[in-house]
Amino acid sequence: MSSVWLPCGDYHQDYREDQGWWQTRFIKGKMILLLLVAFVVMPLLLDGYWISVATMVGYTAMGALGVQLLIGYAGLLTLGHAAFIAVGAYTSTMLVLQFPWPQFMLDAGLAYPVSILAAGVVAGFWSVLFGLPSAKVKGFYLILTTMAAQFITVDFVLTQYISQIGGRGQAFSLPPGTIKIGPWVIDTELSIYFVMAVLLSLMIIVLANLLRSKPGRAWVAIRDNDIAAEALGINIIWYKLLAFFVAGFMAGVAGAFWVCNTAALSPEHFQWFLSLWLVGVILIGGVGSIQGAVFGSIFMVVVMELLQLAVIPLADYFPQLLMDFAYIKDMAFGLAICAFLIYEPNGLAYRWWQAKNYFNLWPFSY
Amino acid sequence: MKKSMFARLGVLFLSVVLLAAFGTVAAAKDIRVGGIMDTTGATSDVGKDYAIGMADAFKYINSQGGVNGKKIKYTWFDYGYRIPEAITKYKMLKRIGAVAIMGWGTGDTEALSPTVNKDKIPYVSASYSAHLTNPAKTPYNLFFSSDYSTNARCCLTAWFDKKWPNHPDFGKRKPRMACCYQFSSPYCSAPINAIKNQAKLLGFEIGPDQDVNLMALDTKSQIMALKAFKPDVVWHGNTVMSVAATIRDAYALGLGAAWIIDNWGFDENLPRLAGEAAEGAMGATPCAFFGQNVKNMDLVVTSAEKYSPGVPLGKRTIHTVQAWGDALVLWEALKRADAAGVDITKKGSGPAIMKKGFETMRNFDIGLGAAPISYTATDHRPATGCRVQEWKGGKFEVVEDVNLKKRWPDLWEKSEKEGGFFGY
Repeated sequence: MSSVWLPCGDYHQDYREDQGWWQTRFIKGKMILLLLVAFVVMPLLLDGYWISVATMVGYTAMGALGVQLLIGYAGLLTLGHAAFIAVGAYTSTMLVLQFPWPQFMLDAGLAYPVSILAAGVVAGFWSVLFGLPSAKVKGFYLILTTMAAQFITVDFVLTQYISQIGGRGQAFSLPPGTIKIGPWVIDTELSIYFVMAVLLSLMIIVLANLLRSKPGRAWVAIRDNDIAAEALGINIIWYKLLAFFVAGFMAGVAGAFWVCNTAALSPEHFQWFLSLWLVGVILIGGVGSIQGAVFGSIFMVVVMELLQLAVIPLADYFPQLLMDFAYIKDMAFGLAICAFLIYEPNGLAYRWWQAKNYFNLWPFSY
Repeated sequence: MKKSMFARLGVLFLSVVLLAAFGTVAAAKDIRVGGIMDTTGATSDVGKDYAIGMADAFKYINSQGGVNGKKIKYTWFDYGYRIPEAITKYKMLKRIGAVAIMGWGTGDTEALSPTVNKDKIPYVSASYSAHLTNPAKTPYNLFFSSDYSTNARCCLTAWFDKKWPNHPDFGKRKPRMACCYQFSSPYCSAPINAIKNQAKLLGFEIGPDQDVNLMALDTKSQIMALKAFKPDVVWHGNTVMSVAATIRDAYALGLGAAWIIDNWGFDENLPRLAGEAAEGAMGATPCAFFGQNVKNMDLVVTSAEKYSPGVPLGKRTIHTVQAWGDALVLWEALKRADAAGVDITKKGSGPAIMKKGFETMRNFDIGLGAAPISYTATDHRPATGCRVQEWKGGKFEVVEDVNLKKRWPDLWEKSEKEGGFFGY
């Protein structure tokens, strides 16, 4: 395994080799190149607008990773993920605005980074709370219990109580310069992009590691057959709740990140449609794949942006396009899901896997 | 075969989209003005008419030679009242070089205000939230109308002045007031603190708030809760569809309270939707209703006929006129800035447009039945009061023109912290 290339075909001889991160120097080089593209090439080449689009891709991917873990790996259907993102966003905002931080922490720019961690933990436990019914129900019934998270969290707790803290009522604005990481004030498209890139990279690394460890194998076993998994000695309730915690933690971090992107917050940022959107993202990207969450996010955000840009010149001839743009966008979202379910049910990640296999097996066809 | 056909069609579609998308960047050098509207979302019941009115107004402005001979290229999008959508639309409009943006809702306008401050782009919104009127906090946010807090204060004051003295319990007890609005909506909740403070100022007893969704069709439980408090007057801070549903239910259940309504809930559609339950409803009117006989209304009506023939005049409302109000204010600001030598076609001309355009206006009359407009570098409240009207006997009648500045000059200048009216 010390060669640059793997020999044609799959020659892994044990589980450790099969799951290894750096199987060849080529793979290592590929990952370093990817990091260079994300952290150097893109910030250098893209203008502010496309950087902001990349940031939206990252935010969507952060949310979609949690949904991917629940649906794609643990088989726990969810339609309430926006609520956990909201919990993270409000936890971070409340801590930054209201918590009596010691001066040295404010000076060192530690308040926001600590609030991101806290947001993850609070959202994780909040998610576990709504994951408790998964001990007894699954499938469509679980969808309903997770949907309850949206209404209880966003429409009731956040709207009626949390939003009222500090007398501002319904919307919080973070004054300029409030969001700092170390000496850096996060207030430009580029700095926000870098925060996103670091957080998303960390989330992918953590999730990928979890999935190749004991909890990951337990989640997949539960997804494939929970009764068989229990018969094998897996504590399915514990692992289901762990999945909810990890997914909630990631949602919380995504929410905390969203705050630095907007510098303002209201419950309207986290409508139920966001949860549905995230499920659409993993359906298009590919269920049961980390790449799927990223590919789905790229597809959904970038295609929608291109659609938006395409409408501008066309609107001179078809003004109705502007009037109905939201419908067109929703229609494109629905059509994309239908098209993928019919023509590519395994999502974009499957195409990526096929392309990789093609080159892996080359020059043979199989 | 089918699959390859699908793939080809997909590639063709993507190519067209990409060509059109990147073609957008290389457009002619006009004055780029952007728009973020709601024609399909939770506030589309009033937003659609506003969006059409705005497009009509810019067509009219261009027919008059634009801004001193320079044409306005108005590019707008529907964002479906979803805040993340508004943020991406805003960034796209910034990219195409918009020198000013016509915005819509309070949630997105407030969410965008830190970004707008940073980008220094004048943002003329249909949100009249008083939170946007203090230039120390939101220096690039503007609108032509009295703000929601002023509207709410004026409505309550007008009811107190004109209706309460005729009440059988006048002089025997305090009047009772309650509020209905969607708690989660920054638009609906924007003036709640203000109206409660005004109620305290006028000596009201304040009842429990009722949460009424913007999409509500049934509000009986809220009305039943209100009945326990027996309010004399109820403030409704939503848009017209849910306002109509609420006052219909109140009428059916015999609540017996008067209704005072914010401007987005008080339009020509209210009596159509609420029928006889709308009788006596009062509301804030920042400008004249569509077609009323006031200065410049002829432009609005003829443009509506000319540029939007598909929408019958009978269906146009005061929201078209409101859109014209915001467009005319921007037009005037651009004309003034251009005359002062500002290159208004250039990206980044926002600060100069503010200083040489908007903030030079003192009692500027746009007609349309709106109050004269003033903006200063320290105060973006365009008007000092508002006209309160009532739906009575099949037509709108003026109840009172309330001028808060004249009536409470000290409080008008003071901030919320000092117990005054400014900026909240």
